Amino acid sequence: MTSETSEIRPAVVFDNVSKAFGSKQILRDISFAVPAGRALCILGRSGTGKSVTLKLLMSLIKPDHGKIWVEGDEITRLNEAGLSKVRRKMGFLFQDAALFDSLTLYENLALPLHRLTTKSQDEIDATIDNVLSQVGLAGDKQKMPVSLSGGMRKRAGLARALVLEPRILLADEPSSGLDRITAAEIDELLIRQKTQHQTTVMVVTHDVHGARSVGDLFAVFDKGSLAAFGAAAEVEQSENETARRLISEY
Amino acid sequence: MIELIEFIGSVSRFGFRVIVDSLRRPFEGAQIMRQVAEVGYRSLPLVIASGFALGTVMTLHTRNTLVTFGASSMIPTVQALAFFLEIGPLVAGLLLAGRVGSGIGAVLANMRATEQIDGIESLSIDSFKFLVVPRVAACVVALPLLTLFMDFSGLLGGFLSEFFSSHIAFHLYISRAFSNMSWSNFIAPTLKTAVFGFIIGVVSSFFGYTTNEGAQGVGKAATRSVVFSSLLIILADVILIKLIFFAFPENAL
Amino acid sequence: MKNRNLIVGLFVLAGLTLFTVGLFMIGNRHEAFSRHIEYYAEFTDLSGLTKGSKVQVAGMDAGQIIDIAIPPTPSSKFRVHIRINDTLHGLVRTDSVATIGTEGVVGNTFLLIHPGSPQASAASPGATLTSKEPTELADLLDQGKGVLTDVDVTVKNANGLLTSVGGNLNSTLTGVRSTVGNVNDVVVGIKEGRGPAGMLLRDPELTTQIRHVVSNTEQATANLNHASGQVDALVSNIQSRQLPQKIDDTLGSAKNAVSNLDATSLQLRQTIAEATAPDVQGVTAGANIRESLSNVNAATGNMADGSEALKHNFLLRGFFLHRGYYNLAHLSPDQYRKDRLFANPTNPREWLAGDQLFAVDANGIESLTVQGKKALDDAAMQFGDAILSTPLVIEGYSGSGDSAEQSARSESRALIVRAYLESRFHLNAGNLGAVSLRSSPPPNVDRSRWDGICIVVLKPARK
Repeated sequence: MTSETSEIRPAVVFDNVSKAFGSKQILRDISFAVPAGRALCILGRSGTGKSVTLKLLMSLIKPDHGKIWVEGDEITRLNEAGLSKVRRKMGFLFQDAALFDSLTLYENLALPLHRLTTKSQDEIDATIDNVLSQVGLAGDKQKMPVSLSGGMRKRAGLARALVLEPRILLADEPSSGLDRITAAEIDELLIRQKTQHQTTVMVVTHDVHGARSVGDLFAVFDKGSLAAFGAAAEVEQSENETARRLISEY
Repeated sequence: MIELIEFIGSVSRFGFRVIVDSLRRPFEGAQIMRQVAEVGYRSLPLVIASGFALGTVMTLHTRNTLVTFGASSMIPTVQALAFFLEIGPLVAGLLLAGRVGSGIGAVLANMRATEQIDGIESLSIDSFKFLVVPRVAACVVALPLLTLFMDFSGLLGGFLSEFFSSHIAFHLYISRAFSNMSWSNFIAPTLKTAVFGFIIGVVSSFFGYTTNEGAQGVGKAATRSVVFSSLLIILADVILIKLIFFAFPENAL
Repeated sequence: MKNRNLIVGLFVLAGLTLFTVGLFMIGNRHEAFSRHIEYYAEFTDLSGLTKGSKVQVAGMDAGQIIDIAIPPTPSSKFRVHIRINDTLHGLVRTDSVATIGTEGVVGNTFLLIHPGSPQASAASPGATLTSKEPTELADLLDQGKGVLTDVDVTVKNANGLLTSVGGNLNSTLTGVRSTVGNVNDVVVGIKEGRGPAGMLLRDPELTTQIRHVVSNTEQATANLNHASGQVDALVSNIQSRQLPQKIDDTLGSAKNAVSNLDATSLQLRQTIAEATAPDVQGVTAGANIRESLSNVNAATGNMADGSEALKHNFLLRGFFLHRGYYNLAHLSPDQYRKDRLFANPTNPREWLAGDQLFAVDANGIESLTVQGKKALDDAAMQFGDAILSTPLVIEGYSGSGDSAEQSARSESRALIVRAYLESRFHLNAGNLGAVSLRSSPPPNVDRSRWDGICIVVLKPARK
């Protein structure tokens, strides 16, 4: 824990969290905290449990043991209704955007609004137009996800994550499969979200360049453990060699 | 062997969960409508065309045999009984297992692989109720209806085939077709396809929903859905027929 | 979204429509949506009839069996609960008979309700219909055995009663013999060329009548043949029991009589073939042929009714039931005496004495004399046009001899007169009845004994 994080109330806390799939231990005793309004980039080699961390946070999977707090709620003990409230605060940008194939872009964004808010149809339409114009897809409302390019899909996925105005934004590999320029656009959107809406951002990425532009804090995972955690400078000084190599690899 | 028992156990639990969840709020009405359109309406051309062709072929075959025994007036009766009792329900079930079962398996497996199911869960929508229950419900609702289309198009095919052989009048054909039919051998076999629908929906959803093999899991889920649901339909048919005979003893021919 | 709802709506509606169509198609047959009427019938043997089996009324699909109550003991019967379409109600009468039929060789069994007679009242809902046990091949054999058992019983009875009723069977057979003699006479009359051919060619009605007579005779013969077969069985049975020789002889002569009748009918047929052939002999003998026909009628009447004892013998019952002469002629004297229609004292009557009408020939058979015909014409004229439109009954009376003789003679008189009046005034045979009342007129008339005939005009019964 750094002195920086203790000053502000943490938005996300992992406390000794472990997770195994079958006999394969993915996460081992992970503990860290992310202050509200900051951006955390999670780095690490493939298969070290970075994405699992986000899914644990979203309660898509349950930890084997350990505790996770989201804005003061311990989510592993919540029932469906409580979880629903917590999830409502978070937006998730999936790796391949995970847009619903059978729905148009508009319907993809309208679904959470219909389900989770009491907004009227007009308000919903206004919100969607607003979010889509933020990500630069205002003219593609009626398109089906399959007809969107990779970058557009990512932006559409981001739009869906933002449509509920989340206090915590989770992004799984936002720049994977994209060219540098497109990836930079996505990073730009994440940064804007953080600065304009004081949204806490957690990004899992391989793209160290992008990570350094987005992140305030960095977590490096190695073989299921947290190898290093802190600001860029701290991680560069880490005892762990993998962490040092990963953070400076750009 | 253990795996097989485990498999049966997990499919049964899955099916049970479908039943329980289908009775629990919220009811995904719009999703059910969407799936009925997908499962039912989109399968119509396949079912009607197959029924028609099968009806024609059946008549061509039975005609020869029945004419040998001088029982050519029985052709419509045989045709209708065969279709309403067994061919309609079973073939409609198998066709739907092929068309819809593979579809459900592939779609759900793909949604699992591309994290769409996680996406739904992250929106606090119960993905099981949102994706699985409407599909099963649609199958349960649509299959009896599709069976009726199968039955009647089979009858029409039979009539046309017979018309070109013997110029039988439509009214006579219809009246003979229904002359030996009782309600129990119309209603019971038609409704038993709801069970087939349930099997198709549950088995296909099971393979699609529970896959965790990424992209290559999609094809596997589709194939398994078709194979297992077809197999289960035929097995279930044996039991259902026995049950129907048990409930309506006069049906046992 | 709207489009999809439309599609689903169309799909579901079309499917439900097909379902309803199917239901109604089947419903039509089962008449589920029409009014029903229910009856019962009882059977010892169901022959595979089950719940749901079809029910036909007069060959028309009418409904189904909705329940079958299984009898608790072998002595009681299966009670079959029938439900048929209300529209067929009118065909089911109190005398309707329910039988079990089979569709084709391998078909389902179904219940067939034979329509009753128009005179009988409509069967009330919930009534138990008369049923006839199914006659399958196996059953026929069983029945054959049953007949033999019956015969056995009859013979035993006969044996016991031999002394008291010994003459009865004999006199019956005499009746048969005299009948045969009569028919023979007719044939001889025709053969002897009393010129019927021309008349026959001219008058198709007469030809039809002769044919009718012949077919009746043939039927009678067939019946008698059947009876003779049974008699044969009876004979061997009796022989094996070494019963008195007398019965044996009697039965032998019965057999002879039957074969005589057979031969007669053949002859008659031959004669008619000859007569209708184009060798015209003349047209003078119209009256003769009429008389011959009267004789034939009388002879048949004789044959039928002269053997009162035979009538009640099960062996020949079928013969009498099938005789099917004229409806009014079916009347049994008992019935005739009781029925309001006939016993109405205000019915106009015309009494004619027997000796005024008939002459007896060498064989003891009566026929109308010329004066008798005149008297009949005059009597008929008394009624004016009424005889053309109103039903008439000819009551035959005979005051001489024992009761069997009276019965035979009064019957033959009635028949002779009826045949005469029918041809004389071209009356509708269905409107003309004959009844044999031996010597006692019905109650409520002004005579207690009569020997001759009485022509009665039937007034419509007051409703």
